[in-house]
Parts: sequence; structure tokens; C-alpha cells
Amino acid sequence: MKRIVGLISLVLLLSPGFILSGSIGFAADPIVIAVPTSLGFLEGKESHKVVQMAVSEINARGGVRVGGVQRPFEVAAIDIRDAAPGVPVPEALLGIEKIILEKKPAAIVVGPFRSEALIAGMDIIAKYKVPMLGTIAMSPGSEAKLKKDPEKYKYIFRTCLNAVHLVKYLAGTMALINEEFGFNKVYVMHQDVAWARATGEFVKKVYFDKAGWEVVGTEAYPTGTSDFSSALMKARASGAQVIMPIFDMPQSGILVKQWKSMKVPALMAGFISPLAGSGAWKTFDGKIGGAINCIFELGSAIYAANLPQSKDFYNKYQNTYGNPLQAGHGPAPAYESVYILAEAIERANSLEPDAIVAELQKTDRTGVMGRVRYDEGHQAVFGNDPNESAVAAVFQWTEKGSRKIIFPASLAEGKIELPAGLKSAK
Amino acid sequence: MFLGTVVYAVINSVILALMAIGFNLTFGITGVANFAYGSLYVFSAYLSWMLLNWLGIPFLLSAAVSILVTMILGALMYRFILLRVRGQALSEVIATFGIGLAILELFRYFGMVGFEYTLPVFVDHSLMIAGVYVDMQRVLIVVIGLALIVALWVFTHHSSIGLAFRGIAQDERTALTLGIDSDWIATLSVSLGAGLAALAATVIVPLGSIAPAEGYDVLIKALAVCIVGGLGSTGGVIVASFAIGFAERFTDTYLSSHWTMIVSLAAILLVLAIKPSGLFGKQKELEERI
Repeated sequence: MKRIVGLISLVLLLSPGFILSGSIGFAADPIVIAVPTSLGFLEGKESHKVVQMAVSEINARGGVRVGGVQRPFEVAAIDIRDAAPGVPVPEALLGIEKIILEKKPAAIVVGPFRSEALIAGMDIIAKYKVPMLGTIAMSPGSEAKLKKDPEKYKYIFRTCLNAVHLVKYLAGTMALINEEFGFNKVYVMHQDVAWARATGEFVKKVYFDKAGWEVVGTEAYPTGTSDFSSALMKARASGAQVIMPIFDMPQSGILVKQWKSMKVPALMAGFISPLAGSGAWKTFDGKIGGAINCIFELGSAIYAANLPQSKDFYNKYQNTYGNPLQAGHGPAPAYESVYILAEAIERANSLEPDAIVAELQKTDRTGVMGRVRYDEGHQAVFGNDPNESAVAAVFQWTEKGSRKIIFPASLAEGKIELPAGLKSAK
Repeated sequence: MFLGTVVYAVINSVILALMAIGFNLTFGITGVANFAYGSLYVFSAYLSWMLLNWLGIPFLLSAAVSILVTMILGALMYRFILLRVRGQALSEVIATFGIGLAILELFRYFGMVGFEYTLPVFVDHSLMIAGVYVDMQRVLIVVIGLALIVALWVFTHHSSIGLAFRGIAQDERTALTLGIDSDWIATLSVSLGAGLAALAATVIVPLGSIAPAEGYDVLIKALAVCIVGGLGSTGGVIVASFAIGFAERFTDTYLSSHWTMIVSLAAILLVLAIKPSGLFGKQKELEERI
């Protein structure tokens, strides 16, 4: 009995998922990079893996040169679980503070999953002056907070797509659909979280209302919802030609299955995280042909043939871990962030936070997701040309189970094809 | 739209009943609130997935094996842990919750997180019912759910073990004087409850995917249904499942999905305020009257 109790206690002690990894063999002390995020979610898990991959590459090349000494990077990760339904923001913040105090990191990479946790956590990051390169949370609220007090919050950067840039890609995709098929009735379904709410509202405001589209319905679903039948019935009844989903929860895969099984005559075009990776075809038994999905950063779960760095990164991950990347958001900017940080530290020749921040602001690096530069809100600039800015990619699942990029034009591999049973309005 | 909503509300109700019936059965017989229930649901689903994908065992056989293994796990959990704390409600809750947490976190710790963790549907087809398309998996869930309720009624009314279950549930001491081994029956009831969680996972998981967080979700839904229906009352579970199931889908359709969770919680609060023992519950009913 005592053994069983002991075993259970051991398992419970191990369960918080406090993981340390890094390299050995350097005489100098390592530079710690903290990864506090939702490690139990695909985006967090794969982002953590690519950070380790980038750190291994940098360490294999001799590490980072600071003050005339080559120092290795070391990764310290903690699962703050902020993506899980019902986990309060203060609990996630405790995890961030814990890793800052215990591991004394030179910088944070990846960071909170939920924007609610990021925005609240900005005060902790500012208090301890730890530069952070966020790669998952997307609400522009963090940039607005930074702009109100730039001196206090200057430590926070975002390398991934934010909701404002996502709106541009979704609007571009809708414009393409309208141009090719004449569709102009849309039903918006989004997760009831800050970034998805903001994205849904912004697309309506900046595109649908101005371009003459009719938004026939909007539905907000709490995280964890597992039945979307009501909204799909409403979409059918209202004559929607396009359904625009915006979800990053695992259960959103059910929406795609229901869309197919209920035979809703509308094009599914937006963002559903389970649809992003190549494995989705098998997961959904090949029932996703025709669905259009956005990959938030090129390199995360998809590569473009005309940007070799994205292909190299995609293949490198597969060779390292045995499986292709599946998360359409997070991994590519997490990988880039490690290199951006390494370059900033070397340019600053110091680990002093303000010096690193000053160099991060000067970032101009072309890599996996195109050219990365930060704007005045410390947000990576996204656009449609990888030579000018970072890029996202919108692709369509073909009926044969492959993915072809359809937007932006600079990366496009083909045109949109309507799924069987759906007719063009032109 | 109305008929379509009714169809999906019935499906939702049966799903809720399937999720709650095992928890309710164990509590009704032994008085043990098995807080590892959601974890056993997830454990069974992952086990089926592993047998199917790693060992290449056909799905139905994988599902049968995982149901059996989950039942054994439930029995072992009772014999080696719960038996020691039986009758101490708080200790039972802490022990089962701890076991559940350990199971879920182990899956998370070993990186079993991703969208590829799902089970195949039994039949890949859609039917038109009342003017709305419904996939065969959901139709089968309703059929299996209703068959299970009938089977459980027959089992508890016309089999010796079932009658022993009811005997222990009514009065454990009197049952003991009639030669019924209460520990053995309690072991069987926890095991059967675990098996019902596994069966629910086998039919429900193909609709979506498996994730450690599902364990908490299933536990919360089972608790909600049992609290509204009355802990230990099978009839109460069925009525509560339909009440909550219909409330959820009609809120989705005629209000907004944004309010779905609030409506369900409000229903629970209302029942607790008016009748704390639940709609058909016998627990503490006498104290309420006094």
C-alpha cells in the first residue's frame, strides 16, 4: 500500500511538467531561455521542440559570443496551462513568475498561449525586465498596452502573426473567393476568446461591411464546445455561401466533421487549428477536401517551394523528431525568435535587458517565415511578399489529400476549387 | 430549424446520459463519488487508440480490450485504494481525484497531445432526419445509449448481481445479513462504472478527438447531470440529461452559443436552490424535509 501511495505521489510530483534541457560541454555559464507556455497543447508542444532544435543548432556552432566568451543557450520550460479551459489567468502568471525567479532567464521565448494571460503578464515581465519574444498569443491588446507606456513595456515583442495581420489575410482570402465565385454571404463562427473575438469583429469592420458582403450570422463558442450543429443549421437556413471559422481549440475539429456530415452547402474558409497539419487528412478520414485554412506563419506546418528556408526548416524538424510539424501557429516564429535573440545578444555584446531590447528593435532578418522586422508596437510586420515582410499562408485541402497554397499570390501554388456540390454564384 | 434542433438536442441528451450513467451507478451503489471517472474515459480512449495505431488491432477489438482493461483498473482502484478509505467521503474524493489527475497528467507528460489522437467512426454515412442531415455515428450513439439504459434496467432487476447491487444500495447492513459481500459488490460497481465510462468514450470520441483536458470536461458534465437529476437516481440522470441537453441546444439555436454554458450552470444552481438533493435524489432528502 505504501509503495502504491509512494508511486502515485511521485507521479503527482512529476506531473507539472517542469522540464529542463540544454547542452553541456561549454566552459562558460549557459544563457537561459525560458519557455513558459501551454506545453500540453500542440502549438506549445511543437514550439518548445523547435526552440530546443534552434538552441541545439546554435550550440553546435559554438553558442553565442558575449563579452568575448562563447556561451551556450539552455532551455528551461514550464507548463503554465493557460490554454486549458477553466485555468485562471493568475495561475498562469504564477508559472511565469516562478520560472523567472528560479531560472533567471536572459529572455523568454514563446510565452503565454492566451492573450488574456499575456496582457496580464506584461506587468510581471516589465517588473523583472526580461525581454520576451512571444510566438502564440495574438491579441493586439498587448501592443496597445505597450504603446501607452513604451518605457515600461518595451521588453515585450511578438514574432508571430497578430489578430490585425490575420484579418488582412482573411480579408484577402474572402476577396479572392468573391472575385472567383461571386460569393458574398458569410456566417462567422469563432471561439469566445480575446484574439478570435477581435479577429471576427475586425474582419467584419474592415472588409465585409466595406466590400458589400452580408454577414448572415455570428456565433461565439466557449472553449471546449463539442457540438456545432445549431450554428451549421443556421448557416444553411440563412443561405450562407461561406463559413468563416476562427478556432484554436482541439474540439474545433468536430466542426469540420459536422460540416461534412451535415452537408452544409458553404465553403469553409478561415482558421481551424486541427486542419493545419498534414496529419489532418488521416485524422478526419479524408473528409476535409475543399476546406480552406490559414497557416499563421509560413514554416509552421507548411512550406512554400519558393522560400527554401521554410522548406529546410520543415524538413529539419521532421528529420529531428521523426514527424512533420502539425501546428499552423507558433513553431516558425519560435524558431526564428531564438535566432533573433542570439543575434541581438551578440550585437549588444551584453545580457543587460535594456541593451538586448535596443538591439531587438533593430532586427532585420530573413529566415523561415520571410523578412522579420518589428514595428513601433514591437509586432513583427506581416505582408504578402516574403522579401519585404514575414508572411502567412492560406491553403486549400484538395480532394486528393494534399495542401496547395492559394494566398498570398507570391506563394500561391494553384487556384481555389469548390468542393463537390457547391456551385459558383457567377 | 426547430425539428433539427430537437434532433440534435436528443443526441446531445443521450451523450450526456452516456457520460453520466457510470458515475451515477457507482455512487448509487457504493456512495463513492469516483472523481477519476473522466480520467478513466480518457484512459480508455487513449488505450483504444494505442491498440489500433501501434499494434494494428482492429478498432472494435481494441475498443473491447480497452473497456475490459478499464474495468480491471476500476476494480483494482477500489480494492487497493478506495477500500481503505470507504465511508470517508472527503478521503474518497481526494483519492479518486488524485488518481484521475495522475492518469491525465501522465498522458500529458508523455506528450500524447495533438489532433491525431482520435478514433474512427463505426459507419461513415449521413442520414436525413426531420429535414436535417445527421451522421450515422450520432444515430448509433442514440441507439446504443437507449439500449444501454434498457440493459442496465434488466441487469439490476433480473440478475443476481444486479439485485445484490440494489440490495447494497438500499441498505448495506441488511444486505450483509443476507450473505451479500458488500466489498465484492462495491468492487464490481466501481468496475462497471469504469466500464461504462470506457463504453461512452468508444462511441463518443469518434465525433472529435482525445485530449487530457477531456477528462475534466467529462467529469464536470457527469457531475452536473447527476447533481440535477439527484445523485444515485438512474431516472434522475435520464431526466436531467434531457433537461440539460435540450437547454443547451435550444440556447445555441434561439439565444446564442455564448450563453450555453451559463444556461446549464443556471439550471444546476436553480435545482440546488430549490431541491438540493436533485430532481429525483434521495440523498439528504430527509434532512431537507426536517
